[in-house]
Amino acid sequence: MKIKILYWFLIPLSIFGQTKIDKNHSSQNIKCSTCHSCEIPTKENPCIKPCPRESMIRIDQKAEDAPRILTIDRIKETDIYAPVKFSHLAHAEMSDLAGGCRTCHHYNPPGNVIGCSECHATQRQRTDINKPDLKGAYHQQCMNCHRAWSGNTDCISCHEIKGKEKVIASVTSDGKKRIHPEIKTPDKIKFDTNIKHGKQVTFYHAEHNELFGLECSDCHSNESCVKCHAVEKVKSPKKLSSKEKHKKCSSCHNTESNCSSCHSNFEKGGFNHAVVTGFDLTKYHGKLNCSRCHTTKSQFKGLKNECKNCHGEWTWENFNHKITGLVLDDTHGEFECENCHKEATYTKPECSDCHEDKSYPKDLPGKKVK
Amino acid sequence: MANQSRRDFLKTSALLGAGITGLTSKPVKAAPKNILDENRMGVLVDTTVCIGCRKCEWACKTAHNLPTQPLESYDDRSVFINMRRPDDKSLTVVNEYPAQESNSFPVNVKVQCMHCDKPACVSACIVGAFSKEENGSVIWDGDKCIGCRYCMVACPFQVPAFEFEKALQPEIRKCDFCFERTKIGKLPACVEICPMEVLTYGRREDLVELAHHKISLYPEKYYNHVFGEYEVGGTSWLYLASRDFSELQFPKLGNSPAPGVSEAIQHGIFAYFIPPIALYALLGGVMWLNKNRKSGEEEQL
Amino acid sequence: MSENMKPVPLPRKYFTPTVIILCLIALVGIIFISARLLFGIGAVTNLSNQYPWGIWIGIDVAAGVALAAGGFTTAALGHIMHKEEYHLITRPALLTATLGYTFVASSVALDLGRYYYIWHPLIMWNGNSVLFEVGMCVMIYLMVLYIEFLPIITERFIGRVNLPGFLGKFNNQIDKLLRVLDKGLNKTMFVFIIAGVVLSCLHQSSLGTLMVIAGQKMHPLWQTPILPLLFLLSAVSVGFPMVIFESVITSKSFGLKPETNILSGLGRMVAPLLFIYLSFKIGDMVIRKTFVYLTEFNTASVMFVIEIVLGIVLPLRLFMSPSIRRSPLGLSIAAFLVIFGVFLNRMNNFIVAYTPPYQFTSYFPSIGEISVTAGFIALEVLLFRAFVMIFPIVSIPQPGTSKTKFSVRGV
Repeated sequence: MKIKILYWFLIPLSIFGQTKIDKNHSSQNIKCSTCHSCEIPTKENPCIKPCPRESMIRIDQKAEDAPRILTIDRIKETDIYAPVKFSHLAHAEMSDLAGGCRTCHHYNPPGNVIGCSECHATQRQRTDINKPDLKGAYHQQCMNCHRAWSGNTDCISCHEIKGKEKVIASVTSDGKKRIHPEIKTPDKIKFDTNIKHGKQVTFYHAEHNELFGLECSDCHSNESCVKCHAVEKVKSPKKLSSKEKHKKCSSCHNTESNCSSCHSNFEKGGFNHAVVTGFDLTKYHGKLNCSRCHTTKSQFKGLKNECKNCHGEWTWENFNHKITGLVLDDTHGEFECENCHKEATYTKPECSDCHEDKSYPKDLPGKKVK
Repeated sequence: MANQSRRDFLKTSALLGAGITGLTSKPVKAAPKNILDENRMGVLVDTTVCIGCRKCEWACKTAHNLPTQPLESYDDRSVFINMRRPDDKSLTVVNEYPAQESNSFPVNVKVQCMHCDKPACVSACIVGAFSKEENGSVIWDGDKCIGCRYCMVACPFQVPAFEFEKALQPEIRKCDFCFERTKIGKLPACVEICPMEVLTYGRREDLVELAHHKISLYPEKYYNHVFGEYEVGGTSWLYLASRDFSELQFPKLGNSPAPGVSEAIQHGIFAYFIPPIALYALLGGVMWLNKNRKSGEEEQL
Repeated sequence: MSENMKPVPLPRKYFTPTVIILCLIALVGIIFISARLLFGIGAVTNLSNQYPWGIWIGIDVAAGVALAAGGFTTAALGHIMHKEEYHLITRPALLTATLGYTFVASSVALDLGRYYYIWHPLIMWNGNSVLFEVGMCVMIYLMVLYIEFLPIITERFIGRVNLPGFLGKFNNQIDKLLRVLDKGLNKTMFVFIIAGVVLSCLHQSSLGTLMVIAGQKMHPLWQTPILPLLFLLSAVSVGFPMVIFESVITSKSFGLKPETNILSGLGRMVAPLLFIYLSFKIGDMVIRKTFVYLTEFNTASVMFVIEIVLGIVLPLRLFMSPSIRRSPLGLSIAAFLVIFGVFLNRMNNFIVAYTPPYQFTSYFPSIGEISVTAGFIALEVLLFRAFVMIFPIVSIPQPGTSKTKFSVRGV
């Protein structure tokens, strides 16, 4: 109990100002020793362990909750350069693809984000050298990605020289422009593989987001910024195992067998429901989302090509045949559907059961309408 | 007669040889100032973090009143084409070693005096111009130096540099661990400016512990060796790297202190001046004996 | 035999064609010396932060000290072993040593960045420093050499002091002073002779210790903890050959009959000394298994083989042959090879073996360095000739005189 009260005093001076460590964080299902090195942490001596990067890190805030622009001016020893105006939102927006907030907030007890200076000393000269000071921590965090994707370590790519600050529109305090620009995604990507039968894999990217409704982060998580931002895209000479190569696909597709569903010797067409399943959607179901029928998320199998899967049993009473473009004449109007349509998909009527001399579509059991 | 003298001579020289080689295991004596303080400071250089911005080079020159180009010029990365060494005009330099894999970074290594715990230069200097200070710095006293450059011969890291072009008062130049700054409680200039905090300044003991902690936290990131922990008896500056240090042109050195053997021989030959005095007495005795015998022979004749 | 031999000044014409050439070499050396003093070491030498020491240390100092070993080895033989027959070569050897060490000291001074602080080691001591020990020993030994040389000066001038002009009235006092000095030295000379031998043993060996601290910067073929012993042994071995060589040259130059008997006596002692040196050198190589480096073909291995074969093994064989020992030519060739071997050894230890861990350029002495070294050697030869002409150094047969007080006394 005492400890809990003590935590009340742990109102951190974070860069987010109003945020603080979750007051209930001691009742979380975490061992105190995960973060604290002593038995009874106090405000004066929280004895926080240096960056454990344990799996417990959790952040209950959204990027949108944080300020768009942060001015990093807490470092005591500001020397040659003016404080950086950091476009937090632009960075945070993309973090979903790269491992979330914890990419940077690498050590955060469950709850709101705590400020970097909570752990990292604002002065270089200090007694606890187990973790870098704030200046070092920021630079290590930023440069790790920046030097990778731009290959540039110039200070002036983030900083302005003190006394020579230029007011650039994009750096104004409202920071409207400082969001991540819209990402252009390709419609399809062709991969060349070294599989003998099926050298080419055509990946329909647009189809996956638009048709199958996948979120970016469903496939792209824990990606590094370089993946998109590298100036020169160098092919990794590393030999990946077959498993690693298929990693992205295998969460939905069975990549162990049935290679030819993706691999082929020519460019495969996009997804065609009629070809793959034998159930043509173009006529009536074209506008439907997949999930209207495939109700279980990312489960597309198990539906038979039967209308009653979704529509229930049709009878002459509850089905208005007019929507098919054909108004049945009186004689045929009161037949049960199965009398003419033998198939479960109600595609082609069978005339020969009753009429020896008639056949569809030469003869119609009613009148065509538009 | 000639035979006799030759045998004597051989005996003498054999004794001499024994005197020199036999006394080589004496403990090394250090001047009181050179006793290592357990709170001596050091710097841990984590080369995996360094981005090669060369701010340290600028800060070093500025702190030591050496002429320097403007700070902006240090962004020029073309200097990394050639390996550079500290010299009399720049006491520290950063070198770059190309990345091994396309997805890793090039490795930048800052080079300066290692501030050995058992410095060869301190041992070698004819006038004792070098000293290992309590705070770990190995510094040079310009009032004593005679410019013999034996420190440069002795240094296993090839660090001390000499102002060859000066006719009068040339100096030995090397990193002094910013002794004048640390004396008044400031950080060494390079440590203070380093944006990435590649350089961690602290008690050497703590730094060794920190280095091993870092290796144990990220075994895949670090090559499992702390350069300087044991090399040449330990150095105040310690290095962590992502690969074998020999690939980064660190010298391959043993763990025995650089001045160990020579000091052992030196103190062996001069153990309380006994060997020289003994030799003197021996030669005196031989001379006296020979003279007497000679005069005896002459009398007999 | 020594009864009718007496050291006397040899008045001859000083300038011969060889002397004039030597004068020119010395002059060039002096020009470069002044350039070094005016513009700094960097202006004249090829030294750099990678190669802090060049031939001024490797040849002028290290080889110079070794080749001046004739002084202490003959002193040990003539005075400590009391072999009177060798007394008449002690004076030329002493002169060589005195001049040699004087030039060693000058070379050191020239190589020092701050030559005007050369006195610092006298008051600023570092007992751990090998260089300090070498410096002190050489300084004291130089003093000892000067003291040992004093009797030659007193002998020359006692009864002949004749200062020009008004200084003439001091003639008497100076003559008295010289006599007092001579008497005192005569009684105490043994102290200095022994001191000279002890100091020589110390610094000859310590000169080897000098490079031990360079550790791995030195090629393993040479880097060994017994470097001091090897240096001492090689210095002892080169002492007599140096005396032999120089004696033959002097005789030739002054048109005297070479003292073949004495020289071949000296030559008999060289072979065993060389053998000891060789066995230590080979033994060290076998124990440290450094012979593997001989399988590589590079400067180091070639130089090492030359040093051993031409500098030790061949002269060892020559000195073992009695017929060669009896001929002045054979003796001088054999002696020259030993000198060459030790010279090369010193140069190898200080220059060839030294491989800086970060090497951008390799070291080769500049014209300035070579000129200064050659100039110093030329000056030394010129001074030797002048001293031999002025002072009683070289003994020549005296027709039927008995042993006088000043025949071959002291040193």
